Amino acid sequence: MAESENGAIEITGGSVRHFGLQFPIFLCFQRHFHRTRAHLREIERDRQHQPWLNGLQLLEDAQQNKHVLSTGFKGIDKLLEGGLREGQLTELVGPSSSGKTQLCLRVAANVAIQHKGRVIFLDTGNSFSPRRIEHFVRQISGSVFNEKVMSNILCHSTFDIFSMFDVLHQLENSLKSQGHKGDCKARTLIVDSISSLITPILGGSGPQGHALMTSAGFLLKKLAHELNIAVLVTNHMVAGEGGNLKPALGESWKSIPHVRLLLSRDQGNKTCSISILKHPSLASGEVARFVIDD
Amino acid sequence: MTMEVRGWIDGDESGREMLSRLLTERPYLHIPPFQKFPLRVGNVVELVGPSPCAKTHILMQAAIDCILPKHYGGLGHLVLFIDLDCRFDILRLSQMLRNRIFQANKNQSNDEELFVECMRRFLYIRCYDTLEFLATLKTLHYQLQKERQAQGIGVNFLMIDSIGAFHWVDRASTSLHLGVDNRKGLSLQNVSVTVVQEIKKLVLVHPMLVIAAKATILGNRYAANEVKWNLKRPFSPDSAASSVTNKVHQLMYREYMPSIWQSFVTLRILIQASDDHISTENNHNKSVYLSEWLMPPLSFGDSFIVKDAGVFCVS
Repeated sequence: MAESENGAIEITGGSVRHFGLQFPIFLCFQRHFHRTRAHLREIERDRQHQPWLNGLQLLEDAQQNKHVLSTGFKGIDKLLEGGLREGQLTELVGPSSSGKTQLCLRVAANVAIQHKGRVIFLDTGNSFSPRRIEHFVRQISGSVFNEKVMSNILCHSTFDIFSMFDVLHQLENSLKSQGHKGDCKARTLIVDSISSLITPILGGSGPQGHALMTSAGFLLKKLAHELNIAVLVTNHMVAGEGGNLKPALGESWKSIPHVRLLLSRDQGNKTCSISILKHPSLASGEVARFVIDD
Repeated sequence: MTMEVRGWIDGDESGREMLSRLLTERPYLHIPPFQKFPLRVGNVVELVGPSPCAKTHILMQAAIDCILPKHYGGLGHLVLFIDLDCRFDILRLSQMLRNRIFQANKNQSNDEELFVECMRRFLYIRCYDTLEFLATLKTLHYQLQKERQAQGIGVNFLMIDSIGAFHWVDRASTSLHLGVDNRKGLSLQNVSVTVVQEIKKLVLVHPMLVIAAKATILGNRYAANEVKWNLKRPFSPDSAASSVTNKVHQLMYREYMPSIWQSFVTLRILIQASDDHISTENNHNKSVYLSEWLMPPLSFGDSFIVKDAGVFCVS
C-alpha cells in the first residue's frame, strides 16, 4: 500500500499468510488524521475506499454492464425473470443428488454457447465431467461439436479454501489486466461446491472459520461486481429443527448471497423443482419445475 | 448597559418560536411500517432481524420518502447509503421510485425529470472490508460538503446495511498479534469505538437520522433446544404454547455488537418473518413480517407485507 511523501498518512500493508488471504493491516490511521484535513483528498485520490456514486450512475452501471444470463431452462428463467444476473452471487441449495452439479454443468454449457462467454468452474469434489459438458453442448447447439465453446469452459480443482482464495486472486489480477478480449469475456464463475470448502473450517471455538467464510463471500461478491460476472455456488443441506433439512453453513452465510435457490428432485423421477428462498427483488416461495436431461 | 442586560434577560427567541423552527428544520419522519412511532432526526435506529426479512426494503422505502421532493410528500433531502453487505439492488429501488412517482403524478408528464432528480439525491457507496468502511466514515464530512455545494441540499438519512457485516473478520483479527507495540491494532473493540466516534462527530455537524440494519448472525441453537424440551412435557394448550413461541422469538435475537454500539443505538426494532401468508391480487402468496419494538419495549407491534410498490402495513 502507498506511503505519502510527507509521511502524514502512513499506511503499512502486509499480507497475513496465516489466513492465506491478502489482509491489509491498517496501522495508526487515527493518530495522523487530526494533523491536516487536506490529506483527506489524498485518500480519495488514492482510492482507500470505493467511490461514491449517486443512484443514477448506479442504475446506468446496472443497466449497461450487469446483463442477465439465461440459464437455458425456460422454467428457471421465468422464475428468475431472465436468469442469473451478472454482479450477483447466486446460491443453489439442495440435498445430495438433487441435481446441483448437473444444473451447474448445463448452465456452464449454456453460457458458453448462448452468451459466448467464458466460464470458470471451480471444482471441489471432482464432480466436473467433460463428457457431460460435451453432451450438454451437443444438446444445446445441435449436433456440431464446437471446440471453441469447449475451450471457453475452464475448470480448476480446488480442495481447500486457501487454494480457492489463491485461484480467485489470480483470476482477479488476470481478468483485470486482460480487459475486454472480444467475445472471450468471462461471464460466469461457478464454485461447486463451496460448502465442502467451508464446512471443514467452520467447526471449532474461534471466529477464524466464520471470518474466512465471510471473507470468501465478500471476495466473490467483489469479483461479481467489478468484473461483471455471475457467480453461482452450491451448498448442501443438513438436519435442522424438527427433522427438516436446512441449508448448511449456518446463520452468518444466509446474508451473504444475493439470491438463494432451493433445488429438489422428485423421487424416482427426472423432474426437479426449484424455488426461491431469497431474492433482492422477487418474492420467495415461487416454484418452477424443469427436467435437466431430456 | 441596561439595554444589554435587558437583551440578555429577554433571550433570543420564545419557546413557541423555537418549537416552530425545530419542527420545520427537523421534521418527524414517518416510515410506513412504523407509523405509530414517528422517528426524529437525531435518533439512531437499529433494525434487527434474521435474513431474509424485509430490512433492506424498509431502508429503500425510507430512502424514497426522503429523496422525493416536498410537494410529493417527501423531504427533498439527500440519503447516504453505506452498503456493507454489498447486496443492494438498484433496479428494485428504481422500480419502487417509479411506482411512487406514477401514483403521485398521474396526469403530469415530467416523470422522467423527477425520477432523475430523485435518483441524484441517493448517494451510495459499498465497502468490502472494515478499512474501507472506516475510510468512508472519515471522509464523509468532506463528501457531504461537496454535495451541499453541488446540489444545495443537506442529508437527512444515513443508512448502513448491515452493521454486523464485518463482525467475524474483526473478531478474528483481534487475535492477530501485530508485533508493533506503539500502534493501535485492528480489533472489534477499536473498530466499533472508531465507528461510533466518527458517526457522532458527523451527526453534530450534519444532523441526520442514522438507521442501521443488522442481521442476526448467531444461530438459534438455544431456541431449537428450548422448543424440543418444552414439547416433551405435557402442557395445557393455549397459554403454554404461546409462551413457548414467545420465548422462541425472544431467544432468536442474540446481541453480538460491542457495548459501545449497543449504547449508541437509541431505538431498536426486531423484524421477523411469520408463518402467515397473505394472497394478493395476482394470487401471489406474500409472507407477513412482524415487527416488534425492543427499545423502547413497546407492547404493540406491526405486521407488514412487501409488494411490488413497496412495504405496506397490514392491520
